This record gives sequence, structure tokens and C-alpha cells, in this order.
Amino acid sequence: MSEMWINMGPQHPMTHGLWNLRVRIDGEVVLDVDPEMGYLHRGIEKISEDRHYNEVVTLMDRTCYVAGLAWEHLYILASEQALHITPPERAEYIRMTCEEFQRIGSHIMWYAAFVNDIGLMTPFLYGMRDRDLILDLYQSFTGARMTYEYMRVGGVRNDLPPTFVPQARKVLDWLTERFREYDQLCLGSSIFHKRCDHLGVLKANDCIAHGITGPMLRSAGVKRDLRKDRPYAQYAAVDFDVAVADGADVTARYLVRMEEMRQSIRILRQTIDWLERHPGPVMADHLPRWLGAPYAPTGREGYLLKRNYAKGLGFSAVEEPHGEAQAYVVNEGSEHPYRVKFRSPVFANLSAARQYLVGYRVADIPPIMGSVDPCIGEVDR
Amino acid sequence: MSQASLYSVSYDLSNLIASALGSILPSGPRAFVTSSDVVTGFAVLIFAVIILAATMINTIMLIWWERKLLGRFMDRRGAMHVGFAGLLQNFADGFKLFRKDTVKPRDADFLGFYFGPTAYMVTSLAIFGILPISSGWDTGALPLTLLLALAIFAFAPLFIFVSAWSSNNKYSLMGGMRSAAQMIAYEVPLLLAVVAVVIVAGSFDLNTIVYEQQNYWFAGPLILALIVFVAAMLAEMERIPFDLPEAEAELVEGWNTEYGGMFFAFFMFTDYLRALVGSVLVVLLFLGGWTLPTWVPSVATSFPLAGIFWFMVKTYLVFGLFVWIRASLPRVRTDQLLRVGWNRMIPLSLLSVFLAAVLVTAKCVPVFGCLPSPGI
Repeated sequence: MSEMWINMGPQHPMTHGLWNLRVRIDGEVVLDVDPEMGYLHRGIEKISEDRHYNEVVTLMDRTCYVAGLAWEHLYILASEQALHITPPERAEYIRMTCEEFQRIGSHIMWYAAFVNDIGLMTPFLYGMRDRDLILDLYQSFTGARMTYEYMRVGGVRNDLPPTFVPQARKVLDWLTERFREYDQLCLGSSIFHKRCDHLGVLKANDCIAHGITGPMLRSAGVKRDLRKDRPYAQYAAVDFDVAVADGADVTARYLVRMEEMRQSIRILRQTIDWLERHPGPVMADHLPRWLGAPYAPTGREGYLLKRNYAKGLGFSAVEEPHGEAQAYVVNEGSEHPYRVKFRSPVFANLSAARQYLVGYRVADIPPIMGSVDPCIGEVDR
Repeated sequence: MSQASLYSVSYDLSNLIASALGSILPSGPRAFVTSSDVVTGFAVLIFAVIILAATMINTIMLIWWERKLLGRFMDRRGAMHVGFAGLLQNFADGFKLFRKDTVKPRDADFLGFYFGPTAYMVTSLAIFGILPISSGWDTGALPLTLLLALAIFAFAPLFIFVSAWSSNNKYSLMGGMRSAAQMIAYEVPLLLAVVAVVIVAGSFDLNTIVYEQQNYWFAGPLILALIVFVAAMLAEMERIPFDLPEAEAELVEGWNTEYGGMFFAFFMFTDYLRALVGSVLVVLLFLGGWTLPTWVPSVATSFPLAGIFWFMVKTYLVFGLFVWIRASLPRVRTDQLLRVGWNRMIPLSLLSVFLAAVLVTAKCVPVFGCLPSPGI
């Protein structure tokens, strides 16, 4: 076979979403790749300018469909800064709980998809089974399993139900056991090491040069985690370690993500204990009238109300399951954000595809791309 | 009553039909349908139909068995809704595919596109014409059945490659390339492992090979050959961990990407057909076929069709092992697969041939004490 271009995507089992990886191959060897994004662009940033602050939360669930609450958290943090609102402490702990559960859920989803990419079918189902428990947990206090719409500017929509704490503890105990099983199925298999060791290597310098963040960066030995380096919510109050590995390959990314899930469990045990001991309000007092209302006024009524509030700028950066997500919200004094801008970590991680794919084989593309954990909803927004 | 055999059953059926027809037909045609030539010819036809039907039903049952077993491995229940415990689910799936249209890509080669899957299935079906199932349940009188079965089994890469190439799809072509390389690489250790069995049994006739295992199964002394055979068979069957020709993660569906409807069903069916051949060959060559060890109480072997029963039990258990492997191993890469094939499997299979030769020369099989070596 001579050299040829093949399109892996936009509908291809490897893509885990709607994007296209153009690959130039010679036989089985990858000579060049060209990632193409934009198939899932919905203009979320532009739509946000037309919505009330709390209505944008709905869109945040649609950015990353496996980590909706992390993106809600990101947006809410920026808006609160822009609107000069401080949430109560309990709301912050609830948000942290949400985000860490979301991290576990997202990483389990990654695990399931990743092992499926290297041909392991059984753990895929195990992952889906265990993620379902987390979704059940979300259902118990947000009412939804995927698009939660739970966080609000100034707090969260409702308090946790009394069943949450025992149920969450049960889930955490179960997951701790299962993670051991996950490791046995992958790390215990020599074929797994044959497939994944020294694959998709991207050293720390290259990661930093391409703006790669999250587990990919930490797998190269860089100890960077926004929860530690730039603590938001109450992350400074909880005790956990940053997961790092130094292989910079697919196995290292696997190790980092598995360790992150264990650390998330550690964080969750602390936050759940805190939540059990500290009942209290979950919404801030003295919210602007249009924010505290269950439904902010829209249309003509909404426009008549505006232009009287304090202006402000909000910036937030959150260690999302895939990397460092950042948001910028401009408050020009109306009840709509004037401008909303997001920085998606996966966009940077995917854009550098040429750096970690060229030179490997076609059969290596799925595990490498799987180890990047692309979530196209947040790339295209 | 004498032991029922495939010949006697089909001959009796043919006689029954002939006499039934004879009783309603006028004398001219009656003489024709009841003549011994016609009855014999018809018996052969029934014989073939029985084999075909049994093969097809067993293949579909094999899919059910895999789905249920895989489901349990994955902590779910598998097919449950059509028929008892989902037994008829695959028939439903088959009928669905039967009703669907087969879309040929515009630039695909007409002849290759339709000839490939058809030949793939037909040749694989032909293997069952010569595999014995139980004593008397075979076509008999062929001294080289094993060789013939493996020869037909080895046709597949050609047809896969033809259908992959004629699909005019890059993924199909890559899958076809991988498939051809893999099957050719693993054909050699497969045959060498078989040679070890043949040396010990002293025959290419599957009946003889089975009867040589009356005292002990070849799985004992030829354990190395068994391991090589199973691994090579996994590669030939294109199952995980060796399913890279249709590695869905990177090649969509591999060499059958462009096929839909009934031709996809042909491929799917033939994959399981070949899995059935593989399981049957493992049972015949290494696990004593339809016989049980002599120390088993005779009540286990004396009921009607006991041979077929035990043969089926062993076959499904062996296939269960393949499913277990599929449920627990990741897929290897093409270069790794070929390296293992040429660098490890072939030396190992040569070693197993050497061991078999030592066994036969020593006239002693050191398994349970020192049993007399067969085939001398």
C-alpha cells in the first residue's frame, strides 16, 4: 500500500464524539495527522449573552456531557465574581462534592471507553455499571442523570436530601473495591502493557508548549493541579495529593487518572463528613431580585429591569476532569452576561495530536486518543 | 437396535418418503421413486440437508451461548426477550438482516463484492461435511479428513482479501491486509501442532485420531501442541485478542465495513462457523472427540446418542473457553501479533512436533504411569 489519507471521523468508533482525525498512513505507520474540530459547535458562548445568568447553567450541562457539574461550577464561580456575590460555605462544599463525583464519573467513563479502544470489552461494562451508581446519586438531589442544572449564582438550587450522605458513603466504599478490580484487569495483563507502554509519549516541555493540562500534563511528571495551585471553593480546606506519574505515555495517563479517582474519594469522604456536621443555607442572602427568583424575568420585562446593577469582571479556573477549564464573564450591569468566554482543556489537548500520534501505528491511534480523553462537547461548545 | 448412524437415518427417511410417495402415485412414477437408485440419491440429499441444518442451528446456538456467557462475564444477562432466555434472539436478528437491503458501494467490484462473502461462507460450511460428530455420524471412508478440513479452512484469507479489496474502502483494505497476513502467519503453527497429533495418532483420519484417545486424551501428553493449536486457532478465528482484522476501534468493522444486510449476516455467521470448526477440531484432536475415558461409568455413555451429547458438551465448553479469553484480554497489535506468530509460535509448534516424535519413539506416554503409546 502506498501513502494515503484516511478520515477517522466524524463518525468513527475511535472519535468518542463528533470530530475528524485525518491520518496520513503508509501501511500501518502514521505519517501525519490533522485533527479537525467544529462539528459540534452550538455557539454556547454567544447564546449565553442572551440569557440570564442562571439560565446559562442549562448550557453548561451541554458543554461536557460527562462532566456537566464541573462546567456549571466553572461558570458559576466566574459569574459570582462578576456579580460580587459570595455563596454560603455549605453551598461551596456541595459544589465540591458534585465536582469530585463528576471527576470520578468522568474518569470511569474514560476508563470504559479507553479499555474498549484496546479491545477489552468486560471492563467497559463494569465501568458503565459503576458510573450508574454515581448517576443515581445525582438523580437523588438534582433530579437528572446527565443535564443537572443544579448550581445557581449564589449557591445551589436545593439542599441535599437526608439520604444523600449514607448513599454516597456506600457508593464510595463500593468504588474503592472496584478500582482494585479495574487495575487487575488492566495493569495485571501483559498485553495491556505491550499495547500501552511507551505509547503516545509527550514530554513535559512539549505539554507545556502546547498548553496541555490535566492528567496528560501530570502524566509527564508536572505536579500541577488548580485545586492545589489556585484553590477555589473550599479546596484549600481539604486534604489530598496531586496524582503524578512520569512515564508521559498511555500507561502513565492511566495511572494518573486511577490515582485521581482515589484522591477524589479521599476528598469526598472529607466533604461528606463536613456536610453531615454543618447544616445551613445553600443560597446566599441579599441576592438581586432577578437572580433569587426561581425564574428570572425574560423578554420585555427583563429588559425593563436592567442597567442598574454594579458592573464587574469574573474569571475562574477549575480543574475539570479533562484539564484546566477557564471562564471569563463580563457583567455590564444587566441581568445578562455581556460576554462569556471559555477555555476548553480538551481543545488544547486535541490540537497537539500531531505531537503524540506521528510515528506510531494505526492500531495505536485509539489507545492514544483514548488516553487523551476527548470530550467534544466542550471542545466545540 | 443397532447404533443409529447418519447414513441409516437418512436412508430410512428417504425410504419413508419414497413409500409415502409411492402409495399416492400411479404405477409409472411409483416404480421410479421407489427404485433403489433414486432412494439412495435422495438419501444422500437428506444426509447433506441434515448436516447443513445441524451446522446452522449449532452455529446460531453458539452465538447465543457466547452472548449469554459474555453477558455473565460482563455482569449483565445477555439476550433475554425472544424465546426462553433469549434462545430465539439470534433467529430474530438473522431474519432482520435477511429483510435488509445490501448496499453495494458504487465503485465496488461487482464480482468480488458478492463472490467473496458467498465463497467464504460456502467453503466454511463445506468443512462440516467431513467432520465426524460421533461414531457413525460422519461421511466416513475418507482417510485424510483432517488434512482436507484444514485445507478448506485455509481458503478463508483469499476470500476475505477479495471481498475487502473489492469493497473499495480503505478500512476494508487494511482489514483485509491484516487478515491475510495474520491467517497466513498462524496457518503454519496450526498445521505443525496438528502434525504432532498426527504423529502420535498415526493417521490423518479424524475417526482414527478419536479412537486412539480411548485410553487418554491427547491433551495430556501433547499439552504444548494444544496450547499452540488453541492460540493459532484464536488467530484464525479472528477473535479477541487476535481480532485486529476487524478491530472496531480503529478499522470500524475491518474487512466487512461495506457489507450490510444478508452479506453482513454471511460474514457474521461464517465467523461463528469457523469458531465452531475450531472448537470441534480442539475436541476431536485433543479432548477425545465423542468418547469418554474408559473409567467413566458406562451409564454416562450408554444412553441413545450419548456420543453426540458428549461431543456437543465438549464443543460448547471449548467455545466457552474462547469466550472467556475474549472477555478478559485486550487486543494485540498487528506487528506484535506477527512477531509472536513467527518468533514464538512456530518454534513452540516445532518443539511440540519433536516431543510427539519422542513420545512415539519411546513407545511410552508418561502421563498416568507408562501407558503404551498408540499408533505403532
